[in-house]
Amino acid sequence: MNALRRFIVVTASICSLSVTSAFAANAVKTPDFETVKLPNGATLLLMERHDVPLISFNAVIRGGALTDPENRLGTANLLAGLLEKGAGSRDANAFAETVASVGGSIETGTATESISVAGSFLARDQKLMVELLADVLQRPRLEQAQFEALRGRYIEFIRAAKDSDRSSLTPIYGAATLFGSHPYGRPVGGSEASLAAITHSDVQKYYQDNVGADRVIIAVAGDFKTSQLKSSLSRAFSGWRKAGQPMPSVPKQPDITGRRVLLVDAPDAVQSYFWAGDVSVARKDPRRASLDIVNTLFGGRFTSMLNTELRIRSGLSYGASSRFDRMAEGGSWEFASFTRTEKTIEAIDLAFATLDKLHEGAIADPQLESAKSYVLGQYPLGLETASQWAYQLATLEFYGLDRSYIDNYGDALRAVTLADAKRIVSEVIPPSQQSVLVVIGKADAIRDDLRKYGPLTEVKLADPEFQPKS
Amino acid sequence: MITRSRLSRMMLWGLALLAPATFAQVPGAKEVRATTLANGMQILVWPDRDIPNVALYNWVRVGSRNEVPGITGLAHFFEHMMFNGTSKRAPGEFDQVLEANGARNNAFTSDDVTVYQDWFPRSALETVFELEADRLRNLSFDPKVVESERNVVHSERRLRVDDSHQGRLQEQVQATAFVAHPYGIPTIGWPSDILSWSIDDLKTFFATYYAPNNCTLILVGDVDPDQVIALAKKYLEPIPSHEPPKLVKTVEPEQLGERRVAVNAEAQTPLVQFAYHGISGSDPRRPALDLLTRVLTDGDASRLHRSLVEEQKLTISADSYFTAGFDPGLIWFFLSLPADGDAAKAEAAFTQQIERVIKDGVTKEELARARSQALADFWRGLATIDGKAQALGTFAVLQGGHEKLFDAPRAYEAVTQADLQKVAAELLRQTNRTVGVLSSPPPADELQTKTGGAE
Repeated sequence: MNALRRFIVVTASICSLSVTSAFAANAVKTPDFETVKLPNGATLLLMERHDVPLISFNAVIRGGALTDPENRLGTANLLAGLLEKGAGSRDANAFAETVASVGGSIETGTATESISVAGSFLARDQKLMVELLADVLQRPRLEQAQFEALRGRYIEFIRAAKDSDRSSLTPIYGAATLFGSHPYGRPVGGSEASLAAITHSDVQKYYQDNVGADRVIIAVAGDFKTSQLKSSLSRAFSGWRKAGQPMPSVPKQPDITGRRVLLVDAPDAVQSYFWAGDVSVARKDPRRASLDIVNTLFGGRFTSMLNTELRIRSGLSYGASSRFDRMAEGGSWEFASFTRTEKTIEAIDLAFATLDKLHEGAIADPQLESAKSYVLGQYPLGLETASQWAYQLATLEFYGLDRSYIDNYGDALRAVTLADAKRIVSEVIPPSQQSVLVVIGKADAIRDDLRKYGPLTEVKLADPEFQPKS
Repeated sequence: MITRSRLSRMMLWGLALLAPATFAQVPGAKEVRATTLANGMQILVWPDRDIPNVALYNWVRVGSRNEVPGITGLAHFFEHMMFNGTSKRAPGEFDQVLEANGARNNAFTSDDVTVYQDWFPRSALETVFELEADRLRNLSFDPKVVESERNVVHSERRLRVDDSHQGRLQEQVQATAFVAHPYGIPTIGWPSDILSWSIDDLKTFFATYYAPNNCTLILVGDVDPDQVIALAKKYLEPIPSHEPPKLVKTVEPEQLGERRVAVNAEAQTPLVQFAYHGISGSDPRRPALDLLTRVLTDGDASRLHRSLVEEQKLTISADSYFTAGFDPGLIWFFLSLPADGDAAKAEAAFTQQIERVIKDGVTKEELARARSQALADFWRGLATIDGKAQALGTFAVLQGGHEKLFDAPRAYEAVTQADLQKVAAELLRQTNRTVGVLSSPPPADELQTKTGGAE
């Protein structure tokens, strides 16, 4: 406790000396953009940025893993991969060659709530860009042979991931355990077992049911004339059908009351990779600035409480961090770290003790001011390029937010009081006894000691599912 | 390349970014100001006012290339110690002051260089200069912090190498590829050396390499070059220069035949890696080698992806990159196999593709595609202040001068089909490579029989 106090005093004296002007610096506002709603439900967002002759786009399709058939997890992700494997008049080879030959890029991806198709082309290739994007979304070939090859590869990608950086796997096991059968717990890429069960017709059906004009937001930023691009995009997308099915509603999140443990056995591991989380608030939560401040202080930057304890002061780990994952109807708050096998319990105890300290009132004015300055100072770095703006516009539209989400963020941060931060700690951040704990590590060495954290379920890393069988 | 912290990208989502047109001049290129302080420190400033922020990169010319047995990993460990206190500031204060002023920092170490990075609102400019000067001049070593940080680095090694099959195999291939040159040393360090560095080693290292005349400082963003140079004169110029460090004189002797290394690990998916001796950063063949590796592995239309992944289905991915630093580095190829994959078959198919490119060269269309991709990536890299600082520093320190950055589009245009075939023939020879295979060990009874037979 003494050491912590010293830390606080040092920070306080520094802040009072030199932090004053950082607030004045943040001045990034959303540049003007135009919104077009087509009669079939498609939304177009256009923002001219003429500094460089380039156009970036970000097309988002509502659905994602949420709309995977329950026993076919990973279908949306497979469909996303297949979209660029041949579309319109081009087979997969011709499509790849066309994109590469103009130095363009088209990348598809999947998240819990959406599929995205993002990329960029030189301004002079605007016409080709619209054609390719329209083909990918409206006329993907979804060929059987491409499907088989891609499904096989995706299964192997999961196996390969289990042979590398295990810290990237804990959030997948974490969400699966935390949310259980709730759709927010679905592994976005599916599992080895669920992918093996998906058929070609499942993917075709998914496309019919879940991809269509009423589900799509197309955000474009860059070097174009709005009137011209608006008319070519409108022409390309106004004839598109709607998705065959309505969006499913998201059920209520489970309540976590106690603490339980999932142990994932990796017999050859020399470190234990741990993750703890609880269900949490949604994207539209009006307390965003306070949430960001509190998370920054606990685990969102280098000098955060968690990294200070697990890395800087104890040397237990190379890193420790926390984050919110906020979605439309809820989400999670989680922290993660890792340490060598023999230190597993010491490190997890320390992480939970640090969370306890947060609840005991570790945040005071100096830290609050420091975190405000930090978040504000870093915010413009995500608002620099056309592709970042395309992403931001699509995100605002997706969650039903407007430009004030960006433009007023600085003011919202400045307005956060110590009482606001403390309220977030008590109302939103879970106490250490209320969480799901996931540990990937050498089970024989840590199993018995882990039981003290709560009822323990054990699976093997090599098992073909992320979700423990219950 | 080994970095200080993984927290870095938490706030910065955003996707890849492209920028100006193919043949255009780099916008703002003429605004780059270059100066050298009286103590020999080089400064480059590139104003870019899209956002009210600044990226600062301090490139120190020291990496694992400057290490010897006993102190492997020291350059990287030193990178960690540069955040851990000076005679004026307690350990941790550097980070606290920066973050309280809206700044984030990180650092990375490679074979050749150690680079310190700060990203901050323009209002923090003078504070950043004061802090950077302080640690360059007054670094101190607290024995307790050294021990704690030793464990941090060991944890980083376990994450990247010991618990990662790609990392484990790559370390072995790199150590096998070099018999004389220190590029064979893993930047993270061998475990026994991580456990045994001393404070004296750190002090010697600081005195030898952390001199202003061994640094190139890059600032890109919302700054006035005159103000930056004035601040550099105020804070950095008073730091005395040192005698230049001893040159690395060892030249890797020519490789006379293929080398092989095997790693046994309980692997779900086998791995095959290839490392060919390549080129240095100032080698004029760099643009041609860049385009050649793109023809082979960049995108779904590339040769190795199409043949190994799509057509023969022998691998699930085929990637490459090459290092080009002060001395000739390695050209790497990485194959990941499916669970029941046959490493020998994948290797044979890979070798066949390499031999084909040596014998028949590349098509006009392939060259044109690779060139478009290279140019697009070049502009993507320059779309952010961070990317500009990285690119400017890479060219200034490792690739023969920062002005060459602005020549890159022209350099790609000048490359011919014959250049690609020639560079393939010169470098991708079988006798010039090391092959590494990672797979599960044979079952225990089989192993015993074999050992018994040998006896």
